[in-house]
Order: sequence, then structure tokens, then C-alpha cells
Amino acid sequence: MTGRTVAERVNRLRTDFDRSFAEPARTVGADSVELLAIGVGGRPYALRLSQASGVHPDRAVTALPTPVPALLGVAGFAGAVVPVYDLAALLGHPIPERPRWLVLTTGAPPLALAFHRLDHHLRVPVVDVVEGSIGDAGPGTYLQGLVRLPDGNRPIVDVPATRALVHQLAGHQPDPKETS
Amino acid sequence: MGGRDPLRYFRLEARELVDQISAGVLDLDQRPGPEPVGRLLRVAHTLKGAARVVKQKEIADRAHAFEDILVPHRSGDAPLAAEEMRELLRLNDEIAAQVALLEAPPPPEAPEPPEQPAAAAGEPAVRPAAPDPAPVPVSAPQPPPAPEPLSGPGRATTSDLDELLDAIGETNAQMMPLRDGCGTMERLHRSAEALSDQLRAGRSAVDGPVRVSAERLAAELGSASRRFTDAVDQIVRGLDDVRAKAEGLRLVPAGSIFTTLRRAVRDAADAEGRRVRFVSRGADIRMGAHLLSPASGAFLHVVRNAVVHGIEPEPERLTAGKPAEGTVTFEVERRGRWALFRCSDDGRGFDLAALRRTAQERGMLGPGDPPPADRELLDLVLHGGISTSPKVTEVAGRGIGMDAVRDVAAQLHGEVRVRSTPGEGATVELVIPLTLLSMTGLMVEAGGATATVPLDAVRGCLRLSAAEAATATSSGRILYDGSAAPFLPLAEVLYTGDTVPDVPGTGAAVVLNCTAGTLAIGVDRLCGTSALVARPLPDLAPASPIISSVSVEADGRPRLVLDPEGLATEVLRRHGSGAGTAASPAAEPLPVLVVDDSLTTRMLERSILESAGYQVELAASGEEGLEKARASRYGLVLSDIDMPGIDGFTLVERIRADPELSGVPCVLVSSRAGAEDRERGRSAGADAYVVKGEFDQEELLAHIRRLVVRS
Repeated sequence: MTGRTVAERVNRLRTDFDRSFAEPARTVGADSVELLAIGVGGRPYALRLSQASGVHPDRAVTALPTPVPALLGVAGFAGAVVPVYDLAALLGHPIPERPRWLVLTTGAPPLALAFHRLDHHLRVPVVDVVEGSIGDAGPGTYLQGLVRLPDGNRPIVDVPATRALVHQLAGHQPDPKETS
Repeated sequence: MGGRDPLRYFRLEARELVDQISAGVLDLDQRPGPEPVGRLLRVAHTLKGAARVVKQKEIADRAHAFEDILVPHRSGDAPLAAEEMRELLRLNDEIAAQVALLEAPPPPEAPEPPEQPAAAAGEPAVRPAAPDPAPVPVSAPQPPPAPEPLSGPGRATTSDLDELLDAIGETNAQMMPLRDGCGTMERLHRSAEALSDQLRAGRSAVDGPVRVSAERLAAELGSASRRFTDAVDQIVRGLDDVRAKAEGLRLVPAGSIFTTLRRAVRDAADAEGRRVRFVSRGADIRMGAHLLSPASGAFLHVVRNAVVHGIEPEPERLTAGKPAEGTVTFEVERRGRWALFRCSDDGRGFDLAALRRTAQERGMLGPGDPPPADRELLDLVLHGGISTSPKVTEVAGRGIGMDAVRDVAAQLHGEVRVRSTPGEGATVELVIPLTLLSMTGLMVEAGGATATVPLDAVRGCLRLSAAEAATATSSGRILYDGSAAPFLPLAEVLYTGDTVPDVPGTGAAVVLNCTAGTLAIGVDRLCGTSALVARPLPDLAPASPIISSVSVEADGRPRLVLDPEGLATEVLRRHGSGAGTAASPAAEPLPVLVVDDSLTTRMLERSILESAGYQVELAASGEEGLEKARASRYGLVLSDIDMPGIDGFTLVERIRADPELSGVPCVLVSSRAGAEDRERGRSAGADAYVVKGEFDQEELLAHIRRLVVRS
């Protein structure tokens, strides 16, 4: 009950609509980056959309007895069985809460990373992304750059580096072709 | 995908008809008579008609020519003239090649002209580098390689199947909200009932009509919920059934490659002027086309070689007291998780003397070395030591076939064995692990997780009262069939750190047969049996050895398949080995030292032992073995006998003589099956003796489980 009338709202929508034409056309290209703002083990992170091939909520994960603590289990994707790793555990700060979201990563073999919260999907100008590795040892190795957002800065999870960590944990020979 | 593709169904039909023609011609060749002629005529006629409908004139014309040859033989038992037979085979090949061209995807380059079907459909690309055994001097010119009447079993259907399975998976995923809805309805029903109960217990008479309404609401919700749940269950079951059948279709019967092999035998026999019978067994065994295709390609060489180099000319056979007609037998068997392909012939066997000579000439054997045993020579052939040399190919002539089989074995993580008895014949065996395995599973629930036990390992099930379950859990034993079987609550080994929902606790025991004997696992609930296709766990998902594979449920969710052997290892690990003298429950077996001069054997034994949960170290000679044994603690030494330098017997003797090592159990593995060798092994101090020829990995593991020293 803000007292706003329907006419006011219509008016606002109309001006928004009109203004959108006045703005220069946005291009998804070199000057912007698509990101997913996510919450992992209670901390904010971002993920490059180009390093993900799908995001799925509430996908059933079959728990697997395994010597690798970060391996939550396996999930089915279109008939294929894909291992699911807890991103919080990989980043070094696991929490007991089961992650709700799965992101299928690009690259082979198939790998899904689980995280707790999907905050939003956004496209930011490249200039808002500060490149550079955060920390050169420990969990920081799996972060690549920061993004400046109105709600604070978020470290960007480096999916290929995370994948390399998973390969190492699983005793899998890393594929030299795997770079993206 | 071609919804408008006019040839889509013709391709399927033509392929099937061509298969029938190919098999029919070979039948006719072996057993002339009006009946096979009639059958062939019917099939050719059907093909001609179908081809005309879709305007495939080339195929129709050849089918017509095919009929023309057969018509005069419709009645009467006289066999077809050799020339007519050859013409039938030629037409058969041309038709097969035409059909194969239709199946090829829109040509990336111009297809071969139909006049050269052999070149188009020719050799399977198993070993492009290796020439066909063309340099072999044979009396008749080698015929061009037989075209494959089948363009690889199941190849065309795989993508269709994948699409079908995806579609089923999608539909199932869409069923999810419905299933959730069932749960919601059931909860609403219970709430409504609770509400009406409260109203019934209420004091005020004013609630009367409200109470009646609440009761009606509860009843309606109850019946709606039941109907809804039943309907959803039925759909889910139906979909599950469809999915299981579709998954099963991924697996192709082994018989689908028999015609190709039979034809290769026939052609080789024709070219060599031999009479050879082709016998096949195991046509019904189903496995993935990705296994069958390469195996077929490799054995094409093997059967051809068996005819060309194995089967002797008729007079020679008769002199040797053999039937004039040679026999080449091709068998497929399934042994647990392994598939076995075997080609044997009753010919002259490998020319070992010539092989030995060549090996010596080529300096593969040191001048001072004793003459190699037959077995070692065959190993040399098998492992490529001398097989690719044209010189040996001339002499032994089996090099290429062996190369192809060896390559396929390497590609499919399998193993090749060769046996040869001079004058009696040779056998080539390929054993490969099955990746997709169709089985019936018993579904069980434990600690909130569901898993599947392969039904063929289940000996029985027992219902347990709470008291019985508690006793079994605390004692680790359960009485079954008059003896105390080790007992392990499944929830303990399946536990993954999740909070376990409020579950009733162990309510049943599943008694399993495994090589080490009988064991029982405690489960909360048995959930019935179902057909499933088990597949290996994906890369990047290392799992406890109690999990053998994974299947995909109707809703797309993976379900774990338990490994009875892994469970046995786990049970024994917890109980301590052997006859119940409870060792420390955490006792881990010490690593096993494998000593063998053959890389293949080392790798095979390592994979067997590692998949049973043992740590393995390798040594390539007796000397190295002894050195390693002295440098570290091992739970067991597994050694070959025939090795250059320190052989297996000596190795065991030295271990027994060393006060530091004398307690380490030793198992000898050898192809020597004689009683005197066993006796020699025993007197050297070996604890067990396993014969490679009858190599049974379960037997080997049973010995190891019994003997291995734990930390």
C-alpha cells in the first residue's frame, strides 16, 4: 500500500520502455561478461556463464560412498550419470547444508558442481571485472578475478582450475586438451 | 532427424532382409535342398518388392537376378553348381553394399561406384596400418576381403536409441511434479482427517455440520489421492518398463556377427580349396555394439587365418586320421562381468618350429638362452615381438590376425590367450570386460538410501525382528542354513555422511553367495526386483569397492549397484579374515607383490586385485621380486613360474629361506598344469597354486583372501 496508483505505474513502465530505445544497443561481446552470482557455503561468489553448460535446481543426487569427501554423489542428466562435487568443499569452506543448485561445467569428462544459492544472473561491463588471481596457494588458486557489483565485490570461481582440482582428487589423468 | 526421409523404414527392412539373405546363402551352401531355396526366394522377393516401392532400382534388379538363379532349384535336391553359388554370393555382396550405402550418412565424399562393393564395405578399420595377409604365398590368389554384410552390428540404431532414451528420461522428469503432487494429496488427506478427528472430539454441537463437511472432505481427498497415486504409479511403471526394454536394445545379440565370420570362413575355404564347416555358439548373448563391432573385426582375420593356415588340405587330414572336412568353431560366452570370444580350429596348429627358428634368427632369444617353451613362443607372437615381421608372417602366417586381436584387447581393456597343439589345432581367445551389463537386480533400502544387489548373487532373504537384527549387528553373524554367516548392516557401508532420515532400522537380511563363501547384509526393506542395465561409474567418481556400477532409474536418477565381492571383502575386513578369529576390525591387508615377466599378466593381475580392493606392487622378474620383498612388507607374493633368471619355484624357496620373509604367503600362477609341477610348488613352500589355463579370477581372489597378511 504505497499509495501508488495504477496510472503512475503504467506511466513509469511506459517511460522505462521508451528509454530503453534511447539507450545504445547492448552487445554480448568483448565489452561485457555474463556471470552467475551464487552463494557457496554461505559466501558470495560469481561464476562465468561461458564456463557452464547448464544450471539445475533440486536435481536428485544419489549419494556415493567414496573416499573423496567433496564428491557428493552422482546425478542423472539426460540418461548420463554425472559426478557431483560440493563447490564449498572444493573452495575449502564446506557447510553441513546440502547445496540445492547444480552447474554442469564445460569440458570433459562430465562434471557438475553443487552450490547453495543462485542470487542472480547478470551481464557486467568487462571493466567491472578485476582480473588476477586471488592468492597463489590454498583455495584461492581456484578463484580468478573479482567482479564489482552494487551488493559488494564477488570473487569469480575459475571453473577449469576447479576441474583440475577434481581431476586430481579423483586420481584422473588431466586431459591436456582441457583448457576452457 | 529425417521425419520425411522416405528411406528410413526401407533401410531397416532392407538391412534385416540382407542379413537373412546372407545367412540363407551360407545355409544353402552347406545344406542344399528345396527348403532353403524357397526361403531365400521369399526373402529376395520381398526385398525386390520393397526396393521397387522406394525406387531403389539397383537393389531391385539384383534381387531379381538372385531370384532367377534360384527359381530352377525350387524343387529337387540337386545342389547348385559352384558357379551359381558364386554368383549368388556376388549378388548378395552387391545388395549388401547397396544397402550399406543407403545407411551411410549423406556422403561426405562421393560414394564408391556400386561395381566395387568390396572396396566400399571392405575391411573393418581395426588395423589400418597392417596389410592383409597378402604376402602369404598361397596356391590360389587371395580373394578380395569379404565385404561385411552387416555394417557393424547395431550401428544404425544407436543414435535412435539414445534419442528414445532421452525422450523417456524427459517424460519421466516431467512426471516429477505429478509424483510430488501425490505426496501433497496424501498430506492434505491426512490433515483433513486429523481436522475431522479433532472436530469429532470437540465439545460444541455447533460444529456438527462443519464436522460432517470435514469428514466428507477427508473422504473425498482420500479417494482422490488414491486414484491419483494409482494412476501415477501405473504410468511410472509403464515408463520404467519401456525404458528397461529400450536400454536392453542397446545390447546386440552376439549372433549378429556370426554371418560375417561364417562368410569369411566360406570365402577363405573356397579360395583355398578346403572343405570347412563353421560352427558357432552363443548367438543369444547380448552385449554393447561398441564391443561386438571391434571383436567381429578382429576375429574376421582370425577365422580366415584358421582356414588358410590352420586347416590342412584334405589328403593330409585323412592321413592324419581327421575328418576330411575341417571345423572352425566360434563361440561367445558370458562369464560374470566378462565376455569371452573364442575361435578354435581342428587344423595343424601353429608352426612352432618355424617360429622358434625365426625368433632365434632375429636375435629375440639370446644365444645362451635355453630354447623357449612353446608357451613363450606363442606369447611372442601374441605380444607383437615377432608378429609384424613379414618373414615370420610368411612362416607362421598368423601375425596380422594376432595384431588385430591384440589391438582390440588393448582398446577394450581385455586379454588375449592363444593355445596351440601341433597336429590338433589352435585356439585364440579374447576376454573383454562388459561395460553395459543387463541383469535383474534386487532393490534394497538401507539407512535412507536405495541400492541394487545383482539377483544372481542372492541366495536368500530373511526377515529379522528388531531383537534378531540387534543380535546380528552386535555379533556380526547370522544363522543361515545351519551355519553362521558374517553379517554386515548395509547402512554402515553405504553411509555417506548424510543425516539419515528416521528409518525403521534393519528389518531383513539378504544372504549373498560370493567366492569367499556366504555372507549376509542387513537392510531396512526389500523393494522388489527389476530388470536393469548396469553401467560403469563415471570418470571423476571414485567409489568404495562395494559399489560395482550404476543404473539409471526411470526418473533419470542414478541408482547404485552393489558388488557382492566388494561387500565380501568389506565384511571380511571388518571381521578379520578366515575362520572367525576376530582380528582387529580395522586390519587392512598389506599390499600384494605381483611377480611376472609378462606385462599383460602383470596388468591383468593388478586390475583383478585392485578391483578387489588390494594394493598392488609389481616386479618384472624374480630378482626384482626378491629385492622388493626384502625392502618392504607385503601381505602376499603372487608369482609366475616361468621367468628368465630366478623362476617362481626358486623365488618361493628363497623367500622361505629368508627369516625376515619366511612368513609371507606365496601363490604361484602358471600355465603348467601337471601334478609334478604342483608338487614342486608345494615342496618349494608355495601356499597355493593356480593354473593359468583354467585361470579363474575368483579362485585366485579366494586364495588371496584366505592367505593375505593384514597389518
